[in-house]
Amino acid sequence: MNATQAAPASAFFLPGARGARFCLFHAPAPDQPACGAFIYLHPFAEEMNCARRIAAQQSRALAALGFGVLQIDLFGCGDSDGEFSDADWAAWRDDASDAADWLGAQGFERINLWGVRLGALLALDVANRLDAEHLLLWQPTLNGKHALTQFLRIALAGQALGGSAVRFADTGAMRAALAAGEMIEIAGYPLASALAADLDALEAANLPAPRAQVHWLERSSEGLPLTAASERQLDRWRAAGTNAHGIALPGATAFWSTPGHTTAPEFNAATAQLLAPPP
Amino acid sequence: MTNTEILAAVRQVLTESLALGSRGPALRAESALLGSLPELDSMAVMSVMAALEERFDILADDDDISGETFATLASLSALVERKLAP
Repeated sequence: MNATQAAPASAFFLPGARGARFCLFHAPAPDQPACGAFIYLHPFAEEMNCARRIAAQQSRALAALGFGVLQIDLFGCGDSDGEFSDADWAAWRDDASDAADWLGAQGFERINLWGVRLGALLALDVANRLDAEHLLLWQPTLNGKHALTQFLRIALAGQALGGSAVRFADTGAMRAALAAGEMIEIAGYPLASALAADLDALEAANLPAPRAQVHWLERSSEGLPLTAASERQLDRWRAAGTNAHGIALPGATAFWSTPGHTTAPEFNAATAQLLAPPP
Repeated sequence: MTNTEILAAVRQVLTESLALGSRGPALRAESALLGSLPELDSMAVMSVMAALEERFDILADDDDISGETFATLASLSALVERKLAP
């Protein structure tokens, strides 16, 4: 552990299209060699809340290693301006670019991206445009369509458990309602057609292979390696020349979907090992 | 995988996904899930299903999100057996 007491993060609002984005900036520890900066891209909907404390802890740890870290609440999320129902993928891509511009204006020449879950897919989507050097992906979501189906299934589960009235037979009916312009509230998040359509079209396999070095961290069941889908994606990138490696974290808790779980020691330790300067 | 192995793996997924701690290994095939595990709300049902899909590299159908599927450890395990069947 680094003994340096990190300065408290500074909170500010970054002006962007359609309002301001809430940001937290963690300055790099002054006694460390300059390492560049990370932009933290958070997970989707309730997973963002579940990950909030762990993201703050990891941001402080990265700052102690010498990285600046900018946590940005994307449009319509967290404490940023905009309604969730007005969010779309393009707005989030622009937010990532604005975050990189801000870091550039602070003198950071090397930009790295750290994305959790759907934030990792966003990181993959903007990595080449932002000329990112390192991509730190925590439990990346690879397939937007699959992620949307899972999100919609929260509502189906609510119906099946009897907690809410039956409105939709299946996710197909929900997609049709969305496409017809209906807004559907899921677990308190009003989902509209634009974001749903964007998610349906997103797939890591269809994105250009990143030029950045990819560090992929994924929880696994005790004693098991990375999932088959993850290995397939890593192999595709390696075949395209990307320097990519994946690390399975056996027994780590799925903190993004476990309310009240506020530590991720396996993710913290693996990240420190990957990014700490050689002794 | 034998059905016994599938049941054990489903128990492990449940234990890890819901952070059940020592209650996880105590789950028997006939143990009730819905109505018995307070963690199992609609979000958790989705998370468990997603974790099963990843663990077994299977795809669930919307119809599988049901009270019947999540009634007991055995009924959830039977779903995985059906998805894995050739």
